[in-house]
Amino acid sequence: MTATEVEQTALFVYGVVRADAEVPEIPGVAGAVIHTVAHDEVMAVVGDVDVSRPVVRKADLQAYQQVLDRLAVSGPVVPVRFGTALPDATSVIDVLLADRPDLVELLDALEGRSQMTLRARYVEDVVLAEVVADDPVIRDLNERTRGLPEEASWADRIRLGELVARAVDRRRQDDAADLLDTVLPLAVEHRTLRGAGLDHVVEVALLVDHDRREELEQTLEAYAEAVHERIRLRLVGPLAPYDFVGTT
Amino acid sequence: MTVQTTSRRQGGGYLERPAPSGLADVIEIILDKGIVIDAYVRVSLVGIELLTIDARIVIASVDTYLRFAEATNRLDLGTAEGQDLDDVLSSLREGGAKKKTKGALSGVKEALTPGSDKDDDSDEDENEEKQRSRSSSRRTSRSRS
Repeated sequence: MTATEVEQTALFVYGVVRADAEVPEIPGVAGAVIHTVAHDEVMAVVGDVDVSRPVVRKADLQAYQQVLDRLAVSGPVVPVRFGTALPDATSVIDVLLADRPDLVELLDALEGRSQMTLRARYVEDVVLAEVVADDPVIRDLNERTRGLPEEASWADRIRLGELVARAVDRRRQDDAADLLDTVLPLAVEHRTLRGAGLDHVVEVALLVDHDRREELEQTLEAYAEAVHERIRLRLVGPLAPYDFVGTT
Repeated sequence: MTVQTTSRRQGGGYLERPAPSGLADVIEIILDKGIVIDAYVRVSLVGIELLTIDARIVIASVDTYLRFAEATNRLDLGTAEGQDLDDVLSSLREGGAKKKTKGALSGVKEALTPGSDKDDDSDEDENEEKQRSRSSSRRTSRSRS
């Protein structure tokens, strides 16, 4: 907690669009009206924000995402990381618009495309039943530890859990590869995202041409139907290309 | 396979197509994404840095293995008294990424809004927090999404 000034306004930066882009009239972070700062071919989408007030409420996160997703519907947008605020319009031009000659190139690369994020998860009980049925050692350990108090079977339990984790991991690699083989041909680019949990199969951000989105959905619907007893698929989008603008 | 869950068909399809609206969903989509402006010129928004806590930590620990073992033990494979399927599923989820996410989010919230408990948007988060601290009961945390 360092900001002690009573009222210090700054510009919250959502992202960068082309200078001729349409900007939706929707409320942004902290309920503030969104406006723009233009420079040559590019334009930053910004909103006033009181820096002395914390802005991370759920509604602010949602507003940030909604503004960017709406922008992405009408044209290319380069998201700027959530929480970025600059003192004034001049600094927006100096450190963002004029300082990043790659912005025009990035916007060109994103033209006519949006992000779709796909997540695949196991139906846990089904995949667990598979690994128990497949491996006599796991089966035996499972029988042996079942019903015993944790203290009395500590080592066996750890061994069992480790074997289960490894067995699920092997399946995960195969299942993830199979799914990716199906969807990657429909995407321009992809980023595999980190995931965790026993039920995790794969999570991947796909950069998809607008005119292939329907094909992607149909392909995934058919895939989801075929595997639904053991794997569930979830597709979110179209989103702004959060995972395709480089975070370094 | 003796265990089976009903598939969650939405709008007639097997592919789930949710609009991400929950806090965890939004965080997952936007967390640590987007281009970064040099910190020297940025106006620091209070506590924003805390958001960069990665909510999804890959877990591999003794605790995790014990949890996997417990879940496997509970499976009803038709050989012994099995536990209710919902219990198995929710105990797995509870110990997984979801809990990590909630932990991180609660941390952020505590750090960011020390004096604004009446914040109009905080109801959901606070509920979750209460549920977490009250007990590790499996039943409560699934109300959202």
